[in-house]
Amino acid sequence: MFTYYLTLALRSLRRNVVLTVLMIAAIGVGIGASMTTLTVFRAMAGDPIPRKSRQLFAVQIDNWGPKKGVVIGDEDNLQQQISYPDAVGLMTAHAARRQSAMYRTGFALTPANPDLRPFQVTARAAFADFFAMFEVPFRYGAAWSQADDTGHADVVVIGRELNDKVFGGANSVGRTLDLDGHGYRVVGVLDHWEPIPNFYDLNNNKYAGAEEVFIPFTRAIDQQLASWGNNNCGGDSLPAAGWDGRLHSECIWLQFWAELPGAAEADRYRTFLNNYAAEQRRLGRFQWPPHTRIRDVREWLVDQHAVTAEVRILVLVSFSFLLVCLLNAMGLMLAKIMGRAGDIGVRRALGASRRAIVAQCLTEAAMVGLAGGLLGLGLTVLGLLGLRALLSEDVNRLTHFSPSDVAIAVALSVAATTLAGLYPTWRATQVQPAWQLKAQ
Amino acid sequence: MELRPILSAMRRNKVGAILIGVQMAITLAILCNALFIIEQRLALSHRPTGMDESNNFVVTNQWVGNPTDLKAKLQGDLAALRSLPGVIDATALNSYPLSNGGSTEGLLLTPDQKEPTALSALYEMDEHGLQAAGLTLVAGRNFTAEEVRDKFGYLDVTPPAAVIITRTLAEKLFPGRSALGQSVYFGGHTQPAAVVGIVERLQVPWTQAGGWGSQFNDNSTIEPMRYVSPYTHYLVRVQPGRIAAVMRAAEQALIALDRARVLEKTWTLTEARADAYQDDRGLAVILGVVCAALAAVTAFGIVGLTSYWVAQRRRQIGIRRALGATRPAIIRYFQTENLLIAAAGAALGIALTLLLNLWMVSAFEMPRLPPGYVLIGAIVVLLLGQLAVLWPALKAASVPPALATRAA
Amino acid sequence: MLRMTHLSKAYRTEVVETYALRDFAIHVREGEFVAVTGPSGSGKTTFLSIAGLLEEFSGGEYQLDGVDVRGLNDNRRSRLRNEKIGFIFQAFNLIADLNVEDNIDVPLRYRGFDGAERRRRIRESLSRVGLSARGRHYPAELSGGQQQRVAIARALAGAPRLLLADEPTGNLDTQMARGVMDLLEELHRDGATIVMVTHDPELAVRAQREVHIVDGQVVDLAPPPRLVAGLAANP
Repeated sequence: MFTYYLTLALRSLRRNVVLTVLMIAAIGVGIGASMTTLTVFRAMAGDPIPRKSRQLFAVQIDNWGPKKGVVIGDEDNLQQQISYPDAVGLMTAHAARRQSAMYRTGFALTPANPDLRPFQVTARAAFADFFAMFEVPFRYGAAWSQADDTGHADVVVIGRELNDKVFGGANSVGRTLDLDGHGYRVVGVLDHWEPIPNFYDLNNNKYAGAEEVFIPFTRAIDQQLASWGNNNCGGDSLPAAGWDGRLHSECIWLQFWAELPGAAEADRYRTFLNNYAAEQRRLGRFQWPPHTRIRDVREWLVDQHAVTAEVRILVLVSFSFLLVCLLNAMGLMLAKIMGRAGDIGVRRALGASRRAIVAQCLTEAAMVGLAGGLLGLGLTVLGLLGLRALLSEDVNRLTHFSPSDVAIAVALSVAATTLAGLYPTWRATQVQPAWQLKAQ
Repeated sequence: MELRPILSAMRRNKVGAILIGVQMAITLAILCNALFIIEQRLALSHRPTGMDESNNFVVTNQWVGNPTDLKAKLQGDLAALRSLPGVIDATALNSYPLSNGGSTEGLLLTPDQKEPTALSALYEMDEHGLQAAGLTLVAGRNFTAEEVRDKFGYLDVTPPAAVIITRTLAEKLFPGRSALGQSVYFGGHTQPAAVVGIVERLQVPWTQAGGWGSQFNDNSTIEPMRYVSPYTHYLVRVQPGRIAAVMRAAEQALIALDRARVLEKTWTLTEARADAYQDDRGLAVILGVVCAALAAVTAFGIVGLTSYWVAQRRRQIGIRRALGATRPAIIRYFQTENLLIAAAGAALGIALTLLLNLWMVSAFEMPRLPPGYVLIGAIVVLLLGQLAVLWPALKAASVPPALATRAA
Repeated sequence: MLRMTHLSKAYRTEVVETYALRDFAIHVREGEFVAVTGPSGSGKTTFLSIAGLLEEFSGGEYQLDGVDVRGLNDNRRSRLRNEKIGFIFQAFNLIADLNVEDNIDVPLRYRGFDGAERRRRIRESLSRVGLSARGRHYPAELSGGQQQRVAIARALAGAPRLLLADEPTGNLDTQMARGVMDLLEELHRDGATIVMVTHDPELAVRAQREVHIVDGQVVDLAPPPRLVAGLAANP
């Protein structure tokens, strides 16, 4: 019977080509617009580390107190980064299963070949736990050890792309890299790793992917590697000049992440943090009650507005647009079905049940949805190309169309169009077969 | 034109009329808000920096490591840049407008003030800065060479003794009086900084709509400081028309002086502007395309449904024609019908528009929609309806009166 | 075959309730050819709609081929209609988009026959009405008489127990009307049960029995005596 409905639908769609084309075009355009923005939205709002996003926590400590002048922070003015003294305190306490203080920095890399000019590489100073905590994939070698952390070792882990560029993709473990005129031994090479958004540090270039070089935090501090991220020196005390001044100041410029599998560990860590803050108060550093928080990756992304206002506006606009397109298709389907009320009445008289009429109408709607979905797919690809041409490079990383998006587009289109076909279908079932005897 | 027959016909096609009305309402809501965003973003992307943009370029310089003779290297670079033919002047700075990275200071009028009077971007330049940036001094004077001291990177937090501020900042700090000669304080410091000059305009480095800096876009403070840091920007101003050649020469000259450096980026301020506002312009273009598509979909929907109504009522129309209705009367019938639907749709649409705007105001810190937009949007939607209904109405008017005498 | 007793049908509008049929009774036996006549507005069409399960009735009883159809749901009624009843409409009611074969195919599809069975029945019913050569034609390409013959073929294809005809010649000229009536008589001779609604006394006399409806009630169920001879001629 389904094939019969299919041929009926095709026949019906062929009968009024203009109306059919209008419907398919409306739905295609609507699907194209909404899928284009949805693709970007999904990339932005996506979970960058799905398996552990509920176990990884950003740590926040109020080291400025209630009166703090200019803060970029939460609604309750809790700073998004922490100070060096707190980073040291938390690392020393080692209260989580894994933890790492970290910050973004960078180098001028001087290639071994003297004919080549030095170039800039971005870097992240972190602890050994960083790699296991964030499940960073390795191509060659491995992360440095905790002994390297405590030993302030001159080692680095480099990204796959940098390894391709400098070592031609070969296993470079054991080789030396000249960073800012200082030699560092490569202990590991990452496989392709591009957390989007860059959840562990959303201060700059949320969508730029991971850094190219990773260096032990302790060594970075020794080397006085400048912070390439946000530095905020609020609070009551000002930093003294120079590197030491910065380290001992209440300026916030470090991110801190902890891995806490299970609610119990998370609760224990919350208690630990409050005890830590209370201890700092006893020591005279804080003059206010403990104010700390941990947020898991998902909460953190929502709080930090990982999805930009622009994209949220576009998603809203394009889905309203899809709604208009569906209302439009619904009107046209209604017109089509009511224009065929006579035929439907005859079919009813010849023994078609309401259920058969429903199946026939919905099959037709679903076919329109399928055609609209396929057109919409094409338009989505065009739309993403358009976005790539129009928007900045960072956003470009978010315009990749995956196979799952194809399925989503077609499913969305068929489902939405069938939904829009419900009312016209209901009207069709209300056609009385008896009308055919009268009013000739 | 009598409305009663139109209304009773509409009652029979209730759902179709409602569908068109709702479409028009949503179209209106999106159109108004989208056009408002487009207008805002385009306005944003045309905000002046206050600099001689078409003749300015920036070389971003990163030394390999942290050379001990940084100050000498900096002075050598600047001397080389200034001596290039076609160069008007050059300076080193920590940041520049459109770069989207820089530092902010909360300025106070008294050292013990808790809340800052104004937020301001900080730019560090030597006495060549005004000339190099092409800023217009409207009061006071430029820095003297003696006032300029070295600032060793971002870790050096010593406040200056003198500052030049923008006119907007001056008015914010000292409303109704001259800022010249007044003192301002940097948060936490007791040493005053005297306002020695006021420039017409100098934009903060940040450009993101609703982002950091958007609330104090023209509040900038220039500190008389030589920015001695392993990571600096050189700002160069050239004679009109020579920018491309000078940019190439500048890079070569710097490399010739010392190879142990990375020239991370060399670009004109015009390029920096295009880059800084790329997403704003992109958003404007995308919204424009969506608006056009939306208007087209709505219009074609009206064409489709009205055509169907015309087909459905061919016989009625024939009878009307037989009874003496003129062609214009038939056209007017369908136009009035659409106008009634569109008017109802517009009324609903205005409510939707305001709701959507309210949400955007709270969610994206957008300004309120001016009433003029809503009005213009409503008129556009009404005209769109009239335009769309024209073709089916003409088709209706061409129904021959003889149809009445034939069987259905 | 068809038995209605005390059947009534009321049409309710916002203000009044009018009875189209009232205490209506009719009994059509298997193999009969009954003409239902009556003036305009007497309830002929309402009777036919109810008989064909197109409309429900308000009261009384209706048995179709031994099935009490009162209160059946839409699915059951559609199924019964499809299996037991063949309709012949005044306006033919062919589906303009479908060619002759596909039109005849419509009730067979809802019946759930497989492809071979449907093709066989289409072929047979088309040859029955003498239109075997016109299978691929569209309704618009046929004359009125041919269209009505296609409609009859469609009604016959499902081998219904009962043929219901509503002014089958109303839209045809005399020549074509005669052909259609000849066909109906032939079907009757072959054993079909036919109920035909008409306002034309000329046509009514060609039936075996005439039932006259006035104001929603049957006024005379007695068969006209002259048709007794006809019955005898057709054992």
